[in-house]
Amino acid sequence: MAVFALRRLLSSIPTLLIVTVIIFVMVKLLPGDPARLILGQEATPQALAELRRSLGLDRSLLQQYLSWLAGAVRLDFGTSLTDNSSVSKLIAQKLPVTLELSLFAMLISLLISLPAGILSAMRRNTWVDRVLTLLALSGISLPNFFLGILLIYLFSIQLAWIPASGYTSLLENPGRNLLLLLLPAVTLGVGSGAVLTRYLRSSLSETLTQDYVRTAHAKGLTARQVTSKHALRNALIPFLTAFGLQLGGLLGGAVITEQIFSIPGFGRLLVDAVFTRDLPVIQGVVLVSAVAVFLVSFLVDLGYAAVDPRIRYN
Amino acid sequence: MRKSQFLMAFLSAACLSAASASAQTLTVGLDADPPKLDPALSTALVDRQVMNQIFDKLVDLDVNLKVVPALATSWKVTNGGLTYTFKLKSGVKFTDGTVLDAAAVKYGLDRNRTLEGSARKNEMSSIKEVKVIDAQTIQLNLSQSYGPLLAVLTDRAGMIVSPTAAKKAGADFQNNPVGSGPFTFVSRVRQDNITLNANKSYWGGAPKIDKLIYRPFTDGDVRYANLLSGAVQAITPIDPKDISKLEQNAKFSVLNYPGIGFQGVWFNVTRAPFNNKNFRQAVAATIDREAIAKSIFYGTVTPAAGPFPPGTPAASSAITVQKPNIALAKQKLGGKPLTFTLLTTPGSVTTQLAQVYQAMFAQAGITAKIEQVEFGTLLDRADKQDYDALMLGWSGRPDPDGNIYDFFVTGGTNNQAGYSNKAVDSLLAKARAQTAMTARAATYNVALSTIISDTPYTWVYFQRNLVASVKGLTGLKPIPDGIIRFKDVDLK
Repeated sequence: MAVFALRRLLSSIPTLLIVTVIIFVMVKLLPGDPARLILGQEATPQALAELRRSLGLDRSLLQQYLSWLAGAVRLDFGTSLTDNSSVSKLIAQKLPVTLELSLFAMLISLLISLPAGILSAMRRNTWVDRVLTLLALSGISLPNFFLGILLIYLFSIQLAWIPASGYTSLLENPGRNLLLLLLPAVTLGVGSGAVLTRYLRSSLSETLTQDYVRTAHAKGLTARQVTSKHALRNALIPFLTAFGLQLGGLLGGAVITEQIFSIPGFGRLLVDAVFTRDLPVIQGVVLVSAVAVFLVSFLVDLGYAAVDPRIRYN
Repeated sequence: MRKSQFLMAFLSAACLSAASASAQTLTVGLDADPPKLDPALSTALVDRQVMNQIFDKLVDLDVNLKVVPALATSWKVTNGGLTYTFKLKSGVKFTDGTVLDAAAVKYGLDRNRTLEGSARKNEMSSIKEVKVIDAQTIQLNLSQSYGPLLAVLTDRAGMIVSPTAAKKAGADFQNNPVGSGPFTFVSRVRQDNITLNANKSYWGGAPKIDKLIYRPFTDGDVRYANLLSGAVQAITPIDPKDISKLEQNAKFSVLNYPGIGFQGVWFNVTRAPFNNKNFRQAVAATIDREAIAKSIFYGTVTPAAGPFPPGTPAASSAITVQKPNIALAKQKLGGKPLTFTLLTTPGSVTTQLAQVYQAMFAQAGITAKIEQVEFGTLLDRADKQDYDALMLGWSGRPDPDGNIYDFFVTGGTNNQAGYSNKAVDSLLAKARAQTAMTARAATYNVALSTIISDTPYTWVYFQRNLVASVKGLTGLKPIPDGIIRFKDVDLK
């Protein structure tokens, strides 16, 4: 298992290096001059030149890339062009917020998808399955911003149960933290829960038609026992992949949801940085999200290997 | 059952704690996260909302745009407009305990005009020297007479920072600002909040609210939802479409008052097709400014005749809003086809506006293609004069000079058209060197009539300041610069 983990980890290094080049070049290709945006409408040409020099924008692209990469491996992503604060510090501040939101959302999505997916598969082609399918498809098609605004309208404006926006850290006030994260987590969780329901339904349905399941039935086990003891374990492998992809996606930035609920997370950091051409922040955030996606898919692979020994030895 | 009981208890406890914490706290929703809380470095309008509470200025503005005393109790302009002598209020301290005397004011003004990367250099360039006369007297010596100086000092250029704190924090002062204003900076979490506490020993009396929290909501609907739900007690600006809903809601008040900025369209006069004056005039003649104000902005903007909004010192009744005249536009085109690209930024209002322009141009047979780029790119292309026409406005300055000089003087920093006219240059220079406002206003308007006829820019509307708040909020002053002063604001 350790050998598998190490091999998997080492193989991702070249990919990550390519990712750094892509991130760097893409950010550089963004149109517009950061100096112009920072100094605003009133900038004099002399001030612009001064700023470009102090930002290192007058150096060659390769020089800029190498010094950025050298910093990045030491987790130093430079300083924000907007307010001079350290990008690493900003990321350290925002990442836990999005991490917590993502985990909360994934919990909600599991609470939705596990029972719904299993029920749907066990009762396939009955009215229960059809209703659940309809709900799942609605969940997938409902845009985040719409669901978010709907929840705010209902729970914050009409019922006044939950504040419409804001964030309090878990350490400072756990109750308020969970309360404030509830609506955004539901907004995110519904969509991914709906996707996962469909995944679980199809993989479990397929497993339930396998020979060994029929054998288990023949031995006289109840449908519930067959599903929970035999079929579900196998059906969970593709489900795990989908789960990993969803989580990775959320970590990469629950941008719209964070915007609607004014949560100072990773996604908003990125959006604001794009709007203000804060290049060091964009590069840092994109790189860290890429690494996060790598990490999640690495953990998913380890999860596979634990569930299915064949994967380790292939 | 147990689960739902727990949930209800949890929800009500959380709501209670939210209510008790906000007893003396005022939370204000802004449309952007203020980037730089340093008067020297700030370039965004939204910064000023926060900095006005933290820093005192030498002088301030009142609701009629008159310059009134602040840190300076009185001032004298002598030597043909070359010497400004200010008497300072005594006994003032910065919130870190440093004494605010003439030496501190000199440090603050010098920092604003010389700090590397300072965005104030241009507007303070006429100041040759800041001289301490005695502990309560400061003198500004100018290299050339500059009428707008007092008005400039009512904004960031006149904000005085604590020398002790500024020296100690260095480049990080923007994240730890210290001034002598009615509120002190406590903390900021980027994209979440900026928290200020009342300065209980403020020289002008302690503010009525204890804590002031600013929160950014870039989306207008989200800003509006937060006001409705009680998460914030005031928001600025309000989307025009929400105004009437808020006005009809008994729980809220709306403050809708004139601003000092303008919006319109630039024409690149350095290349075809708009190096042809007739083409510029033709386009300007197709625009129905009244219709735009009514249909896109629900009457929350005023049609514009020039750069000086009604009620500001240089506004002149002799210059009237241009009425749409398709026949005139066609005559100016002289049967020649006109096709060009209109550069603009994305956003629902700008997109709508660009499409309305497009339709108005089409009435005279003019074809405009809309190209949308983000703001930094728009400015960049404007600088390089890499465009045909573009939509760009200005937040405005209290002195007329700030709304005209840099826009139309040859090589001006805001002269996006590449416009150059010797007669206009000398009139603009003459106006800023004059000291009496009536004389200056007259000179600006002579220059303006030439500019309007040359049409490097066409003004379309003046934006207004729109603030919504809960009914219990009192003491908001409609100062046209759009910055809310919270010192006398009370929340019942």
